[in-house]
Amino acid sequence: MQIPTPSPDDQVYAPAEDTFLLRDAALAGVKPDDRVLEVGCGSGAVSAALLGRAASVVATDINPHAVRAARTLGVETVRTDLMAGVRGPFDLVLFNPPYLPTAPEERIDDWLEYALDGGPTGRETIERFAADVGRVIAPFGRILLLVSSLTGPEEVQKIFSGLGYIVLLAAKERVEGEDLLVLRISRDLCCFSG
Amino acid sequence: MRRSLLDILCCPVCKGDLDLRVDEETGDDIVEGSLWCAACGVAYPIKEGIPNLLPQTDKD
Repeated sequence: MQIPTPSPDDQVYAPAEDTFLLRDAALAGVKPDDRVLEVGCGSGAVSAALLGRAASVVATDINPHAVRAARTLGVETVRTDLMAGVRGPFDLVLFNPPYLPTAPEERIDDWLEYALDGGPTGRETIERFAADVGRVIAPFGRILLLVSSLTGPEEVQKIFSGLGYIVLLAAKERVEGEDLLVLRISRDLCCFSG
Repeated sequence: MRRSLLDILCCPVCKGDLDLRVDEETGDDIVEGSLWCAACGVAYPIKEGIPNLLPQTDKD
């Protein structure tokens, strides 16, 4: 993935290989009657690609520049932290999280930081997402989550398995020294109790 | 935001229902208004068609 250069005019993560991999996985997996939520939509490129392919598409981002950019693409947007201000239910939840391991001294305090900084492990935001996503997905809902080999995919799988989800690999692509993966996550209805 | 969006929104703090107040509407798009959480006593603004459901103690 590319690391955009922050500037006052460039406060939204520009679509890159990770965006396109998630978009293509979403296009392959979306059903016409799906109510879709994209968490952390950035530019809105993934959600915009699904317009007309699903019953509804709603996108969130904490970044005011991102929700405005996505709205200009025709996407219904909500400014909120992950999915704090939505209740669903949603049949398909998409998330390309900030997944780069980032030490405190590496942090840059601007809006792009939210798109990139996954905390020291790279998994901080994914852990917050995993803990709350069960509140908004329908019983047979699916999640498509983009992660990188830099994020520790096995650790991500353990996070979701521990919460009663089944994790499958939906797509994989080698990009400049890292593997990008799309994980397809759904409730394990045999043991799910939450 | 469209009126239909209201059904899938909630207060980001207490997860309760929100009441819609419309100040400006174009077609079925609510451009300016607010979303009121009675339980928290907090109004979340809708500006330029985008509801802001950040906790209102977080000012940026």
